[in-house]
Amino acid sequence: MAADKSAGQAIAKYKTEIQQMMFVSGEGGEPSTETTTLVEQIVQQQVQEMLRECNTLATRRGSRSISTDDLMFLIRHDKAKLSRLRHFLQWKDVRKNVKETDDRGGDAAGDLAGGDEVLGSAVVGQGGPAVDLKKNKKTRVDLVWDVQSFFSEQVPPRDDEEDEEEEEMAQATLQRLKNADERTKKMNREDYMHWSECRQASFTFRKGKRFREWAGFGVITDNKPNDDIIDILGFLTYEIVQTLTEEALRVKDAEKLYRAANRAETTDGNTRKRRHEAEPGLFSGPEEKKEPVQPRHIHEAFRRMQRPNTKSRAMQVFTRQVHRRPLKLI
Amino acid sequence: MQVKNDEDARKQAQEVKQAAEEAAKRDFHRYFYTLENDRVAMLEQQRLDELDRQVEAEMSGQQGGDAANGVAPGAQQGSLSSANLGASSLIMKHLLTRIDQQRSKVKANDNQLRRLISEVRKNRSKWASEEKVGQEELYEAAERVLQELKAMTEHSGPFLNRVSKREAPDYYNFIKYPMDIGTMMKKLKNFQYKSKKEFVGDLHLIWTNCLKYNTDPQHFLRKKALIMQKHTDRLVVLIPDIVVRDRAEVEAEERRNASLDADLDGIEDSDEEVPIMASRGRKAPSKGKKGNTANRKAPPTIQEGTPGLESKPLLASLGSSSNFRNSSLRAESDAPMEGNSNGFVTPPPGTITPNGPNGVNGTANHADPSDADGASNPGQDVTSEDPAVEDLDYRTWKQVTKKARATAAAERNQLFRGNRINPDAPALLRSRAGMRRWMRQQKILNEEDPSADPSSAETSKETLPATGESLAEGIEEEDDTLLPDYYDPVSAIPDIDDRLKWENDSEGNIILRAEECFHIVPKEQFVARESILTRKMDANMRQMQDTRKIVAKIGIVKQMQLQSQMYQNQFPKYQPLPLAEADVEPMVVTDDGPFMAPVLCRSALQRTVCKIFYHAGFEECQPAALEAITDLAGHYFKNLAQSLKVYTEAPKVRQAGVSTTSGEPVFQRRFSFEESVLHTLNQNGHDVEALESYVKEDVERVGSKLSVMHERMKSHLAELLRPALDPAAGSDGVGAFNDNSEQFIGGDFAEDIGEDFFGFKELGLDKEFGLASLSVPLHLLQNRVYGAHQAQNTSSAAIPGIIMDQPAPFEPVTVENISREIGIVQDFFRARLAANGDQPLVEDDDLPAKQRFPRPRLPPTGKISSPRKRPLREQQQMAKKKRKMEEGKEEAGSGNSKPFAKPAGKLRLEMPPPREPVAEPEKGEDTVEQLMSPESM
Repeated sequence: MAADKSAGQAIAKYKTEIQQMMFVSGEGGEPSTETTTLVEQIVQQQVQEMLRECNTLATRRGSRSISTDDLMFLIRHDKAKLSRLRHFLQWKDVRKNVKETDDRGGDAAGDLAGGDEVLGSAVVGQGGPAVDLKKNKKTRVDLVWDVQSFFSEQVPPRDDEEDEEEEEMAQATLQRLKNADERTKKMNREDYMHWSECRQASFTFRKGKRFREWAGFGVITDNKPNDDIIDILGFLTYEIVQTLTEEALRVKDAEKLYRAANRAETTDGNTRKRRHEAEPGLFSGPEEKKEPVQPRHIHEAFRRMQRPNTKSRAMQVFTRQVHRRPLKLI
Repeated sequence: MQVKNDEDARKQAQEVKQAAEEAAKRDFHRYFYTLENDRVAMLEQQRLDELDRQVEAEMSGQQGGDAANGVAPGAQQGSLSSANLGASSLIMKHLLTRIDQQRSKVKANDNQLRRLISEVRKNRSKWASEEKVGQEELYEAAERVLQELKAMTEHSGPFLNRVSKREAPDYYNFIKYPMDIGTMMKKLKNFQYKSKKEFVGDLHLIWTNCLKYNTDPQHFLRKKALIMQKHTDRLVVLIPDIVVRDRAEVEAEERRNASLDADLDGIEDSDEEVPIMASRGRKAPSKGKKGNTANRKAPPTIQEGTPGLESKPLLASLGSSSNFRNSSLRAESDAPMEGNSNGFVTPPPGTITPNGPNGVNGTANHADPSDADGASNPGQDVTSEDPAVEDLDYRTWKQVTKKARATAAAERNQLFRGNRINPDAPALLRSRAGMRRWMRQQKILNEEDPSADPSSAETSKETLPATGESLAEGIEEEDDTLLPDYYDPVSAIPDIDDRLKWENDSEGNIILRAEECFHIVPKEQFVARESILTRKMDANMRQMQDTRKIVAKIGIVKQMQLQSQMYQNQFPKYQPLPLAEADVEPMVVTDDGPFMAPVLCRSALQRTVCKIFYHAGFEECQPAALEAITDLAGHYFKNLAQSLKVYTEAPKVRQAGVSTTSGEPVFQRRFSFEESVLHTLNQNGHDVEALESYVKEDVERVGSKLSVMHERMKSHLAELLRPALDPAAGSDGVGAFNDNSEQFIGGDFAEDIGEDFFGFKELGLDKEFGLASLSVPLHLLQNRVYGAHQAQNTSSAAIPGIIMDQPAPFEPVTVENISREIGIVQDFFRARLAANGDQPLVEDDDLPAKQRFPRPRLPPTGKISSPRKRPLREQQQMAKKKRKMEEGKEEAGSGNSKPFAKPAGKLRLEMPPPREPVAEPEKGEDTVEQLMSPESM
């Protein structure tokens, strides 16, 4: 992390959004400003790195501006994320079409820009024409390196073709939804409302200018990015925060376990008493507020995600070259 | 009898010594001696040589001093011998070669010949003298003893030179008669010794002097002196006890004893050896060969006569007895007689070197080594004082081979100059003798070692006699060394495969054995092995090719819709060849190992890479990219192989809890094969899951996707060509008409474009007919495709699209039928006919394509805005016509004027109207321009 303290204060632009995202990702407590700033720094670094990479790719293609394909190419190895992204883009298309065709009900669709699942349910719940939906769904997002690109002619898919990948996509999405369901199971109505509001948090939605400045558009790459690019970046930043938070929570749990084990070892004499205390009894007071994720957990989570994989070193196995590890995209 | 006892003792000592040496020599082959002492040996040898040279120099200085010394004859002889040396040996060699060549004509067996030669060849040493009897024997022995003592450089060093005043200022206070080896050499060369006693006395003087001067019992020189003394004691026995006498004196004595010859026979029998040796000009005690070669090369010519006088009677009288002795010797040791008595100089062919006999009777002589050990044990006791106690074998080795090693090392040294290879050094050449020696040593080794491969021993036995050693070569053998063959790598003969040997059969023809060693490179070495994966990939690639064919057709169709004109070969047919891996052509190699061909391997890898590229969707790849990827792939695979090697060759580990019955731990491989493979994969950034997912995702799924794509493309093409033929239409397309054939009226073509292209909406047609879409069916636009198709395949004559019969072609306008035309155009046609030379007029449409008039086009306004441009050719024609007419006018006058002079522009304008209705029915054929016009509906 390049930013120092003073800069850290300066760049804290997305505190609320990050808090909301973390909340959605399972963080129960209220993360401190340090934590959110740290997360923000990480996300910013990631986004900037992505843009830089995209720019390199675009230059290599001979284009001056980056395209959505470049972004998708960056995350090509993370199949689950890629499929979620495609799903997201698909529904974005649907939303656009619905908005265009259906002026009167458009406001609802337009407002729901955050989570894709919510959007989907919203659209369906809105009672939009099912036929339209189906038709729109077919315009799925193709990857440039997929089989279609093998051939010089592009042909629209037929109806009767079922897509394996789409099924997989659904799998990944279902897993996500299941996780969300787990989290929201015990919520009451107000909490759930809050939660679903939080789901709509975004780095980009209706904050175009702020995001462009923050991400370094105009410095790193073209100043006028495509709307799609911004949307993809919004999606990806959300994903980054989510992954980071989930990992940090795991770190925190592990730390807690370790602490507990250690304490048990060190103070062997009064273990029982302590344990007794630790267990919430019938008459013990209300469970104190969960301790939020600390910056150290975020640090550790980030470190875990930056763990090098052997693949990147494969060609240098018998050499003595020092391998410079590029930043790994989360 | 006293004399005889002495002789016996001497002989015995000699034999013991010889046996010890030979045992040691035998053992030389059993050990590998390092070369590390060679340098030391060389340096020591250099010192000794320096000493010799010094002695020589001093002596020549003396000679210069007094030429009339009694020493002169000896010195003269020395120089003479060296002068004659070359010539004599050369003569000898030629003689022997000659004998060799004429061998069949000589009626003597080898033994006889050899004896004869050895007699002829009087290799008298430099010590030989006509005046002095016994001098040669004494001096040869004495010199050898001296040489040997000198050669023990680690001990003899301090005694080589005279003690100088600088070293020990008070030395000469204590020592009255100083003596050293150098001085002794000088004395020897000056013939100052008259008897063995004098010589031995001087030797002992050296040691006693040392002991006397260095009284401290711990003094290192004392130790050395003691060792040297011990050695001296052993060696001195070998010197025959001879007192040098003048010849005159001896002859007188002989004459006196002549009558007693018969009585003395018995005595002489017993010690016959000495006279025989003497008569043959041989040194009596033959021990080792080092340093002797020079001595033997004495001039045979000069001294031949005189010693013969002395030896001949002896030889004659002893002929039978010597034979007897030899036969007894042979019985005892099974050795060829010359092998022992002649001291290796002219040994019989076949077993020339001392090694030969040694090898043959290795078992017979087996008792000898123990004797040798016993004899040298006292020496060992003495040397045990020496801090550097060495193995006996090793010590013997060092001593015996010292000079040879020194020479070898010096030769090696000459190849270098200042730590670099000396380019000016003479080339290392093989010599026949060297190679033969090498072979012999190998043979001996094979025979000695019972575990050696019996077949190889056999072959070497077989081949050795076949090489046909000549006597001449046997003589060249003289400078045989005891050094093992690794000192002479130049002479080594590599193991040659039996199949490659040059052998003749019984009729003298060469046996060709080429077929046995040639074999064809196994097939399929350079193609990918067929596996489930490759089969799948191949299937995918075939699928891609098929789909691409369809795609090419689609492309053509689409292009045809856009383009107004087509060329014959505008659309080259996409005809991909199936991918097949070609194997290398049958090839013959001689080696058994893997077939290495880096270039070939690289191209094979390139082909594989190319295939994978193709599988990944690339139709072609640039050579540079291919090279780069191939390099990377090669590097990666090298890494893989290297890691696998590292893991499989990891040191073995002790197997836990398991041991053999004797309690030794059992070792096992560090990694099992599976573990090694997994480690290797992991090291190189892969794992089984990744590989599996590659197969699943990138091969199998791609395969299914490709087939889906193929279907899609196929149906798309079908739609493009025959949209009516959807499944509902049935096989004959009748079904397409079921729903009021709206498809044919509307289609969904314009919908794709997204416009009211034809203006149907504007006209209100959609409401009138209740059409769902406002487009023209695509197949109606396909006429061109069919047209092009027809043009290409002229074979299909009938055009299925035309139901009506072709109207009969218009009759061409001729002079005859012109009257049948309408009156108003008759003049016009007449003019045309006249212009055409009264030939029938050709219909415009029947003109060759290039001469055809461009068809006029009416703009949507319906107005003809501008007159058509006249083609250039016609303009020229018109100009010509004009000129002609003018000429005709002039000739014919004005009376015969026809309505010729119509303006050209008008003429052109008039042309289209009569043609327009004519062209209409031909639309099926030629709808190029009308295609997009509403009229064509």
